[in-house]
Amino acid sequence: MKSVVTTVVTAADAAGRFPSQNDLEAVQGNIQRAAARLEAAEKLAAGLDALTKEAGDACFNKYAYLKQPGEAGDSQVKIDKCYRDLGHYMRLINYCLVVGGTGPLDEWGIAGAREVYRSLSLPTGPYVEALTYTRDRACAPRDMSPQALNEFKSYLDYLINALS
Amino acid sequence: MLDAFSRSVVSADAKTAPVGGTDLAGLRSYVSQGNKRLDAVNAITSNASCIVSDAVTGMICENTGLIQAGGNCYPNRRMAACLRDGEIVLRYISYALLAGDASVLDDRCLNGLKETYIALGVPTQSAARAVAIMKASATALIGETNSPASGGKRFRKMETTQGDCSALVAEAGAYFDRVIGAVA
Repeated sequence: MKSVVTTVVTAADAAGRFPSQNDLEAVQGNIQRAAARLEAAEKLAAGLDALTKEAGDACFNKYAYLKQPGEAGDSQVKIDKCYRDLGHYMRLINYCLVVGGTGPLDEWGIAGAREVYRSLSLPTGPYVEALTYTRDRACAPRDMSPQALNEFKSYLDYLINALS
Repeated sequence: MLDAFSRSVVSADAKTAPVGGTDLAGLRSYVSQGNKRLDAVNAITSNASCIVSDAVTGMICENTGLIQAGGNCYPNRRMAACLRDGEIVLRYISYALLAGDASVLDDRCLNGLKETYIALGVPTQSAARAVAIMKASATALIGETNSPASGGKRFRKMETTQGDCSALVAEAGAYFDRVIGAVA
């Protein structure tokens, strides 16, 4: 799992040297920013279910045709799966906030997503709409502190770009 | 390879749950103790050569047969290999201490180490003893509990802010014990 610490350790190990002052400074920089990340992770974990529902509702409101016969959300089972996937994405963003890098999203969310969605002929536009809604709706200081919100939104943007 | 953060992520993913509550409390303590941890890593790396050579010397003093003809630290070539291995073990322990997780130590150092030593005829008892001495000196340097009496003319005290480092001393000690358990 890629994170600041594992990157530093991998580089030091490849060179066969002990962690240098540079390495320790890099980890220190990561630690200084960690408080905001962990706050965002905590708030996201607490509001995960409500947030997922809001995001899913937003996407079905905008793309109401998805519930028509033959479309991606023409049965309750499929609709539930859409909400479930959004929940997974939010959970992965929670992981990214904890780790402090895009590793979890890359490895468990984005890698292969394009191929999967294509083979199931699922549109990614609605996911983008749901995530964009979440991004634009989140606000500081109601949901979390400004710095924490900044971290949260940067991962949402990363995911939106990957699905666009 | 995992660190304290990705370890909690991997275990949360196994339950399909977000990381929250008690897991985050543990990570917050990693963050709040961050500077102490970096000082602890620095205490090991700055004194690495001393810790290793002292441990190997101590191991040989207790068992002088090692440097007599036929011993496993005779001739210089094998003594050098011994010092090199001591430094490698200490290096991976410093990585584990920096990451706050033992996975890098397990994956890249300990996995297959015992089998390798047995195949090469390295006495694992002696190797474990050297690691135990490294543990004693490294934890003394981290916790600043070393004394001029035990250090002799190589005595050194790290000039860090005074504080409670018992948790880090225990964590570092656990990594050394892990090595001892893996080779013995």
